Amino acid sequence: MVNIKINDKHITVKEGTTILEAALQNKIDIPHLCYDKRLVPYGSCRLCIVEVEGQAKLLAACSTPVTPGMSVRTETPKLLKARKTVLELLLVHHPLDCPVCDKAGECKLQDLAFKYGPAESRFKAKRKHEPADTGSPLVERDSNRCVLCGKCVRVCGELQGVGAINIIGRGFESKISPAFDEKLNCEFCGQCIDACPVGALGRRHFRHSARAWFLEPRDNVCPYCSVGCTVTYDLREGKIMRARGVEGKGINNGNLCSKGRFGFDYIYSEKRLASPLIKKNGEFRRVSWEEALKHIAGRIQAIKHAHGADSIGAIGSPRCTVEDNFMLQKFMKSVNSSNNIDSSARFGYAKIQEAVQMSFGLNRLPINHESPLGKDVILVVESDIASTHPVWGLNFLKAKKEGSNLVVADTRETKLTRHSSRWLRVKPGTGVALLNCIIKIALDEGLYDKAKTQKIEGFSFLSETVNDYPPSAVSRITGISEDILVKTAREFLTAKSRLITLTIGASENTKGLDTALAAANLVILTGENPSSLQMPAEFCNTFGLWEAGVKPELGGKNAVSMLYKPGAVKALFVMGENPVITFPDSKTVEEALRSLDFLVVQDIMMTHTAKLANVVLPASCWSEKEGTFINAGGIPQQVNHIVNSFGNSLADWQILKNLSKVMGAEIAIDDIKKLREEFKNNKSVEQPAKLTFNPVTYTAVGEYDTEFPLKMITGNLMQHSGALSCMSKGLGSVIADAFIQVNPADAQRYKIRDNGFVELSSIKGSVMMKAQVSDEVPEGTVFAPVHFSHARINHLTSLSETGSPPICAVKIKAAN
Amino acid sequence: MNLNVDETIGHIKEAISVSEKNRGVLIYTLQRVQQEMNYLPDHAMKMISEKLGIPLSDVYSTASFYKQFYFTPRGKKIVKVCTGTACHVRGASKVMEKLESEFDIKEGKTTPDLSMTLETVGCIGCCGLAPVATVNEYIVGEIDSAKIEEIIEAIKAE
Repeated sequence: MVNIKINDKHITVKEGTTILEAALQNKIDIPHLCYDKRLVPYGSCRLCIVEVEGQAKLLAACSTPVTPGMSVRTETPKLLKARKTVLELLLVHHPLDCPVCDKAGECKLQDLAFKYGPAESRFKAKRKHEPADTGSPLVERDSNRCVLCGKCVRVCGELQGVGAINIIGRGFESKISPAFDEKLNCEFCGQCIDACPVGALGRRHFRHSARAWFLEPRDNVCPYCSVGCTVTYDLREGKIMRARGVEGKGINNGNLCSKGRFGFDYIYSEKRLASPLIKKNGEFRRVSWEEALKHIAGRIQAIKHAHGADSIGAIGSPRCTVEDNFMLQKFMKSVNSSNNIDSSARFGYAKIQEAVQMSFGLNRLPINHESPLGKDVILVVESDIASTHPVWGLNFLKAKKEGSNLVVADTRETKLTRHSSRWLRVKPGTGVALLNCIIKIALDEGLYDKAKTQKIEGFSFLSETVNDYPPSAVSRITGISEDILVKTAREFLTAKSRLITLTIGASENTKGLDTALAAANLVILTGENPSSLQMPAEFCNTFGLWEAGVKPELGGKNAVSMLYKPGAVKALFVMGENPVITFPDSKTVEEALRSLDFLVVQDIMMTHTAKLANVVLPASCWSEKEGTFINAGGIPQQVNHIVNSFGNSLADWQILKNLSKVMGAEIAIDDIKKLREEFKNNKSVEQPAKLTFNPVTYTAVGEYDTEFPLKMITGNLMQHSGALSCMSKGLGSVIADAFIQVNPADAQRYKIRDNGFVELSSIKGSVMMKAQVSDEVPEGTVFAPVHFSHARINHLTSLSETGSPPICAVKIKAAN
Repeated sequence: MNLNVDETIGHIKEAISVSEKNRGVLIYTLQRVQQEMNYLPDHAMKMISEKLGIPLSDVYSTASFYKQFYFTPRGKKIVKVCTGTACHVRGASKVMEKLESEFDIKEGKTTPDLSMTLETVGCIGCCGLAPVATVNEYIVGEIDSAKIEEIIEAIKAE
């Protein structure tokens, strides 16, 4: 620790702290424009200059580390004069168009000019008259207002790992722009907008829509992925106008991705449902809540009477709050006496849970946001963390920058592979073989924790199983050369600290239960804690959904038995889910739903599933209701009620509570507090860890054959995560259309043009969409994002009832 | 210049990551490409960006900082007319005018047939020979109407 004095105030700070950080930590303000806590000090704005006793020159506080006994002054006549001059120099260029600038009122340059005095500059020079870039999606750039602090450039390159913009040119001519003055073509995370101290970068949809001083900031949890970022929403007259990340708030500490920053507008979609609907003769009719609930109660009771309680089922939602999901399972279990309840997590997170239970004996394994930092080796298995969990992904880039060996095994070229230390371009779905090979090398070379692991159940079976996975064999399976396999394995096994990460999302098809088990085997073998295996939940409340008990217990039917066998249930409640689009092999699901006697869908919009329903109930969405999301780290976070509910919509838990009462059940829940209390009492207790090896074998899936020669990978895009993001106009302005990525060689072989329509078929059916010719996928593989409901990618996919990944074999041809 | 950074820096190569090495050779790569192609076409910068793993905006930012890099094709003959004090006094502007009207281009531009690029320089340090111009590597001093015709003919012969 170092003792210093700032303005005669004695303060103690950590060694290596800069003067500016020391001052800010102690609530002493030093003006600055180019400093950002997340970035390396840059020292371009020269406003943070301070006087240090014994130093003749003025020093930039942002880039001068403290030394013992240092005495600093932050406001002296000399400094005031110097800062005033710096501001005058900035104002030479600055257009002073504050009356029409969205930044006015929260502009740092405006505030500084107000504080230090100059309204104009003594210096005369030409102003810039560059046309503003208003043609890029989401982000607007007006380089005339730019003060060239370079914060956006550094946020984009250093923090976000993109580098879409930079300072182009030199001297008076320099400006911030993408290469060749093109339009922005980036992730559209918008981090640069929040970083900009002036009005040079702005939100396109916010332009000229509200003055900063009329905005009312309200914090809420982001409704997208399971990282659970805290977002500050600025409201005007009860409407969310924009979203910001604020430094120091939440797990994200000011960082947001494009979904979090621009995706909130789905709540204002014109597709929202405003009142309950009952289908009569194939037509939906608006009805009152009373009529709808009475109708449902009558039908459910009749079906229960005729076919028994086991004929009723329910599907919960990882997008709904813990309260909503808890109420749904309570409604099923205590009102309907049925254990038939499940969710889309069946195709994703349930596999993670199963692996955690089987391998570690734990009932939950939350991730740690900071886990990648400081690890010697990080192995990412066929997962695009930077797209599925973008803000967590930043920590992977940071770890790499700080010296971690980031090994990414992935078929597709992704942001993470571009930032990796080593990219293993494995064939799709071969993660199990790769992991088994590392285990084999560990056993052969004695590079494992012998004392800890040899007594663990399954050890001898494991060593037998992996005998089939020597580097020579695995090299043929994965397409990675033997020496690289051996080298990677040795690096991983001899590292001081290591981490394995993989996601299993409902839409991802290159990983299965077996992949998670193989990864767990490796973690146990190296003697690491279970937390060295980080498998995050998928959506904002996937973790909470599981905790709330939306899973089939005590012999209840799961999503597979309910939705893939017509007649398995007679009546179904679907809350906030769209199985017709999001579940694999969706044609079968649709048939099952059509064959139901009674289908109730409660959702925020008229989904494809809702169209099949007998009764559709309008639900309030996130921000329109109170509740809790539990993030992938197992941290419960309050969802705040910040805007009015749309139309006559109600929170899902309220709908179910009302319905229970109409059905005459005694549920003793009047408000959300009671509901939360009951949830707390019902929570399963932490189990002690019990390690077991579960050896798994690699099964070739979707093997090449003559009719369907291509392997199709499905997954996520950075700007989309499903139905919500597709309702957002903002995100839709970046990507709104479905596409299939095809390697140039395959494109040539099948005579496919970039952007041309293609017909894609699998054994299950065929769909049409546009092709995107790109070498992000290797020859023989195609990639399809599954978010876009009109493309119906899930018409092609199949269910994997074993632990192997449900990779899909397809063929492609140009459509005429 | 030796591009084989590994050999040049011997033991400390371990300490320098691949990305840092790639950044180190960026300007040299740009120079070499320009030498080959006589300017920096967009597609060449895109390729440099991909191969070195440096974002395209970084490559373009670096190139655009230096006056030595050109983003449009240059002529086979590069004529630089000195406009320093001595040359100015001895009629550099007339030399420029003549060349500009003869080839119908402005300062800093290249003729459409890529035969010549016309530029000005501050001073090339041989004021005794004013007015002076350089044509590629050659210096033409004491330019008069005869010599300027020679220059024009040499360019037209290209």
